[in-house]
Amino acid sequence: MTVQIVKTPAEEALESAFAAMRDGLSGAAGDFAPALRDAAMATFRELGLPGRRVEEWKYTDLRGLLRDVPEPIRASGDTLSETDLYDVLGIDLDEFLAYRIVIADGAFAPELSHFEGTDALFQVLPLSEALANPPDWFREGFGKVNPPERDASLALNTAFMTDGVVIRIADGAKLDRPLHLVFITGSTRRGMVTNRNFISVGEGAAATILETYGARRTPDMLRNAVTEITLGHGAEVEHLKYQNEGRMGLHLSSWMAAIGPGARYRAFQFSIGAGLARNQIFTRFTGEGGEADVSGAFMVWDEQHADTTVVIDHAVPHCKSRALFKGVIDDKARGVVQGKIAVHPGAQKTDANLMAHGLMLSERAEFDAKPELEIYADDVVCGHGATTGELDEDMLFYLRARGLDVNQAQALLTVAFVGEALEKVECAPVREAFVARAAAWLGSDKS
Amino acid sequence: MLEIKNLHVRVEDEDTEILRGIDLAVPKGEVHAIMGPNGSGKSTLSYVIAGKDGYEVTDGSITWDGEDLLALSPDERAARGVFLAFQYPVEIPGVATLTFLRTAVNAVRKARGEKELNTADFMRLVREKAEALGVKQDMLKRGLNVGFSGGEKKRNEILQMALLEPTLCVLDETDSGLDIDALRIVSEGVNTLRGPERAMLVITHYQRLLNYIVPDRVHVLQEGRIVRSGGKELAEELERTGYAEFGEGKAA
Repeated sequence: MTVQIVKTPAEEALESAFAAMRDGLSGAAGDFAPALRDAAMATFRELGLPGRRVEEWKYTDLRGLLRDVPEPIRASGDTLSETDLYDVLGIDLDEFLAYRIVIADGAFAPELSHFEGTDALFQVLPLSEALANPPDWFREGFGKVNPPERDASLALNTAFMTDGVVIRIADGAKLDRPLHLVFITGSTRRGMVTNRNFISVGEGAAATILETYGARRTPDMLRNAVTEITLGHGAEVEHLKYQNEGRMGLHLSSWMAAIGPGARYRAFQFSIGAGLARNQIFTRFTGEGGEADVSGAFMVWDEQHADTTVVIDHAVPHCKSRALFKGVIDDKARGVVQGKIAVHPGAQKTDANLMAHGLMLSERAEFDAKPELEIYADDVVCGHGATTGELDEDMLFYLRARGLDVNQAQALLTVAFVGEALEKVECAPVREAFVARAAAWLGSDKS
Repeated sequence: MLEIKNLHVRVEDEDTEILRGIDLAVPKGEVHAIMGPNGSGKSTLSYVIAGKDGYEVTDGSITWDGEDLLALSPDERAARGVFLAFQYPVEIPGVATLTFLRTAVNAVRKARGEKELNTADFMRLVREKAEALGVKQDMLKRGLNVGFSGGEKKRNEILQMALLEPTLCVLDETDSGLDIDALRIVSEGVNTLRGPERAMLVITHYQRLLNYIVPDRVHVLQEGRIVRSGGKELAEELERTGYAEFGEGKAA
């Protein structure tokens, strides 16, 4: 007996949008993208939008929450300036010296991008071009970097991806500046934007990569962004993300990382925007001696919902992973952290630890933490834990007895709480920008 | 002048009274000591003066300079010059000591209608006061009280007192956990703050501290009441005879 589940209006809208757009999407004329998109859409048709019955989505009922789907936006035609860039992001990175690649309204924006003279260090291709004329290395790797099984949000991304950044960092290249990938939406019309990035980091290369996302002019933008990243032997990457989307919007994000032998991967996501944000990070060690730190912080208020879902696959022996997530939750907002460490058979000498801490600033706030260990090897050191709490009364009194008013005292303690996670960011200008943003958030500048 | 009249206090949601009718007056320019055994209500008295939650004042009043302290929040009391040196200073990871000191100094200055200090002036002030108290620069960079020894925590309390320039200082068992050298440094720090505009209430279990901070008056607190008051020689008498000799609760 098969049970036919009724499709939601959002599911129907996605399927009909795909049918209407398919032949006009990036790479439609080539021999590479159409097959990928069709297979992904078939997967999505089978899975539907994930709801409470799907274990990985039990705290984030996308099926119930996504009522309708706006028209996909490719290039809106609205022009954006440098000023817009920083207004939309809500963070001042003027002093931030970086190679900048901008994807505006779902399409590569060369006039806002600056990465001249870097050919020896890395190659950049807009995704739309890579899909139309895929280089061999792209064709071989794309879509295969540690993809989660049966994940509807990844399937939707593959089906609808319009543009994004494809980067190949040369073996041994040490990038002298961070790579700043900016995803903004300047459109004033509501829409769906689907970005896809593919980053290949060569053997022994070193880079800092920052992704920033923002869409403030249109508060209810629907974005789905995926980044695949592979680290070659001994590569070192700090991979950062700042998400400050419009506060009614939906932000679906997946990072898939494959960490080669002896490579060091540090991922950090700071999330304050979007009405509903789902940040998925799938990390896999593919060679011995790898190290990963997958951490993040989020600050939510009003009726925001922020979900961080992480899987760290210790597929090989002798790797080390750390994960620390901190969430500040005010008003009726809800925070979710699901973190799984999977130690595969034979992955001896694994050293893994995952912690999640929620700070509730209101009685109506909610924090759901689900740390999981799945261990199929016997010579490992693994730990996990989660806490939820309010601000400590004794600390508050101590600060107030020294003259700080209640707001100042709460702000200082909250920044200290979230600061323990923000301190993980090694790139100083980004770390300082994050700390400043956290302080401003408490000073009521929350968007 | 600090005036406490018929003060009755219990812990919220509990029936037992901890303070059972305290009367006390500390004029500006004087240092008074409150001595008493464990459980006599010494720390409760200090917390109620500073404004900690969790205590219910069922009767009586506390005024400072004629103003009703009980109507004010802890930060408003701090702005009016009230300072409590904690018996157990709280450790606050993630808040750098220096950041905290600057925030506190400027919060209090602002509330008192004084100009906030810029970074350079503040650093000059901290360096000067910290040096006098033997507070090392690396301590100031650490998280507030995090990893501080008992003596370092107490010196940090007195440093805050020196920076905030309060007019009513309540020192709660400042001598506990101090070795003799630290005790001398801390006492000197307190003594330099003695002055005609400042009242001090020194709470202690032992007479030892009062060899260094010589009080004008000594009050013996027992079972929530002041059972005897006298000059500094009362502290010495207590040291010889013990607390059992005093008040009604002789059985202890």
